Amino acid sequence: MIPNSATAAATIRRGQVITAVGLVGLVIVIVLAQMFTPVEARQGLAQKIFYVHAPSAWAGLMAFSMVGITGGLYLWLRDPRLDLFAEASAEVGLAFGTIVLTTGPIWGKPIWGTWWTWDARLTLTLFLFFLFVGYMALRGAINDPSERARFSAVVGILGLLLVPFVHLSVYMFRTLHPMPVLLKPSAPSMDPRMLRTLLISIGVFTVLYIGLVTTRYGLGLMQEAKGVADGD
Amino acid sequence: MGTEPANGGYMVAAYVIVTVVVFGYAFSLWRRARRVLKD
Repeated sequence: MIPNSATAAATIRRGQVITAVGLVGLVIVIVLAQMFTPVEARQGLAQKIFYVHAPSAWAGLMAFSMVGITGGLYLWLRDPRLDLFAEASAEVGLAFGTIVLTTGPIWGKPIWGTWWTWDARLTLTLFLFFLFVGYMALRGAINDPSERARFSAVVGILGLLLVPFVHLSVYMFRTLHPMPVLLKPSAPSMDPRMLRTLLISIGVFTVLYIGLVTTRYGLGLMQEAKGVADGD
Repeated sequence: MGTEPANGGYMVAAYVIVTVVVFGYAFSLWRRARRVLKD
């Protein structure tokens, strides 16, 4: 079920092309946010952190959700490619999670007056991040591929269950964190130029997720293909 | 105008972190890919 080296190489190259498009998009987002998006009157320039913080959170939650979804599919179909994809998605999710957990406090310091507060949204996001750090540690600790895939699929599904709580935590608990401006029942509540930058940034981070996860998945496929070829 | 809080340094720090993490991770994947594609 693991494809050959040529297929893995093609997957890596496809991922690299998509990632390159995403990186160009990120530069465009930075220019758009700095030069073509108004400064918010009350928060000042620190508000512009939002244009990279929220899309990173979106990409991170999507990545962690995909770990759970592909983990569940693995338990059903037992296709090792699903496990390789879950591993790739977890690693990419941790990169985006790092951005969320650093840019959030950098915004919080000037706006809330503190780097961190044990608020429901922040705490749940940190738990989710640690859960996937544990997921990667678990993968590194088990040598048998099918056992590793089974155990990590269960952890991935538990992470997936946590994702809706992270998003809905601002409704479920009294929290300092701002309410969603986009993913909510009513219409988006933003200046159109700010909304444009946010939507473009969400698109760019989605492309970055697809590019990075495809490249990382291709690397996993290649490792497996070479292992099969070497008779491991 | 001109009454916004002066907190541009925080914004610069956040954008630097995003750039370093995204480009850094993409570069690390590119290096790993180059190594395996050469073999």
